[in-house]
Amino acid sequence: MKLGLTLGGIAAAVVLATAAQADKLDDIIASGTLRCAVTLDFPPMGMRDASNNPIGFDVDYCNDLAAALGVTAEIVDTPFPERIPALMSGRVDVGVASTSDTLERAKTVGFSIPYYAFENAVVANDKVEMADWEGMKGKTVGATAGTYEAIWLEGQVKAWGEGEFRPYQTQADVFLALSQGQLDATVSTVEVAEANVKSGNFPGIKIVDKAPMVPDYVALFTMRNEYGLINYLDLFVNQQVRTGRYAELYKKWVGDGEPANLSVPGVDR
Amino acid sequence: MFDTALSAADLWFLTKGAGMTILVTAVSVVFGTVLGIVFGVFRYQLGAIWAAPVTFVLDVSRSIPLLIQLVLANAFLGTVLRLQMSGFTVACMVLTLYTAAYCAEIVRGGIDAVPLNTRRAARSLGMTWAQDMRYIVMPLATRVALPSWIGLALGVMKDSALVYVVQVVELMKSTQILITRLQEPLFLLLICGLFYFVISFPLARFGGYLEKRWSND
Repeated sequence: MKLGLTLGGIAAAVVLATAAQADKLDDIIASGTLRCAVTLDFPPMGMRDASNNPIGFDVDYCNDLAAALGVTAEIVDTPFPERIPALMSGRVDVGVASTSDTLERAKTVGFSIPYYAFENAVVANDKVEMADWEGMKGKTVGATAGTYEAIWLEGQVKAWGEGEFRPYQTQADVFLALSQGQLDATVSTVEVAEANVKSGNFPGIKIVDKAPMVPDYVALFTMRNEYGLINYLDLFVNQQVRTGRYAELYKKWVGDGEPANLSVPGVDR
Repeated sequence: MFDTALSAADLWFLTKGAGMTILVTAVSVVFGTVLGIVFGVFRYQLGAIWAAPVTFVLDVSRSIPLLIQLVLANAFLGTVLRLQMSGFTVACMVLTLYTAAYCAEIVRGGIDAVPLNTRRAARSLGMTWAQDMRYIVMPLATRVALPSWIGLALGVMKDSALVYVVQVVELMKSTQILITRLQEPLFLLLICGLFYFVISFPLARFGGYLEKRWSND
């Protein structure tokens, strides 16, 4: 009897909730909070300041998006492998976490147009002889599991047929392993490499060469069926570039110089 | 070795994390124990068949890893029921049920340990069921159940480290945040362990004191 009542109550709640379902864009505006998945061990895109508050390019980008929507931003610290699970399990509304827009991922989540693009650098331990990126052949290399660099690097190791690839849980683990000599080399974005070498947290590492990869375009993502929100995100990215905010954030977090061109010549989108 | 980037502000950050751990644990253990006593007595009085639905829910709560329970409960409350609940509320609810599941078994064991002859003697003196429970069973069962209950409370305190998945920044998560920023894992984990010790040691000692005080021989 009691159990029946409880079950009935839950069923009624589910039906009511479904009936009252607006789309995600409405939900975010109504709730007054935008929950962004941001990876906070990925400087300068996401990190923490001396009082442990989240800062970085992605954090500012999320704050801008929230301001455009007229809501408050909530930064949800999400490690790289957790980004899509966090979205699917409803812990976040949008991913602003330097996520490469791979076709494989697009089967699960919906991407906006790219909001940033990374070029990649090969970083090696000081004690390893390496002149250019091909010097990685036959060495022990590693990267953060599931990232664009990791997929490329693992492919290279397979193509070379020698050497070893090791996946790690976080970017910090990769650089720690590199600094301690457990890894000979890794591939990471120029931004991350520069920041980590400069920080002095990882002694004995050096930037060797640029990796010959297509720039890594990263996009905002949300549930793939939320077209209203995805449309909004596309326009938002466009506006960020148009108003010069993109260049401003690049200068603030990455450094002087031209931010990457976000459009690919010869094709739409 | 003692050349560390850890600042006073970071220690305060850890202390706040420890405060959150204590708060989550306190709420869960208090409500979990009350619920556990209710469920435990309920199961003892009704017998295996009638208490089966309760037993089933408690068994589920005991056998699924806490991490999965937290993620699923959060997804269900947030995405399916669309309730605007803070991570703290979800964490306390899941941990309370988890505590209640274990506590119910402890309570049942405690009641079982009271000799039936003693209880029959109480009833034949004219005590009601409530009086029997209050004056005979409770004092005897509490003595038996106390050590396991202290163990449970300490266990829940340590298990509360998992509530980071619902965005509650407690002691363990605070430590991880600092490890990411300062890159001093061993030193920070040492400090984190010290914090846990400082929280649990008094509780363990208090349990030992009560045990000694309550033993009559």
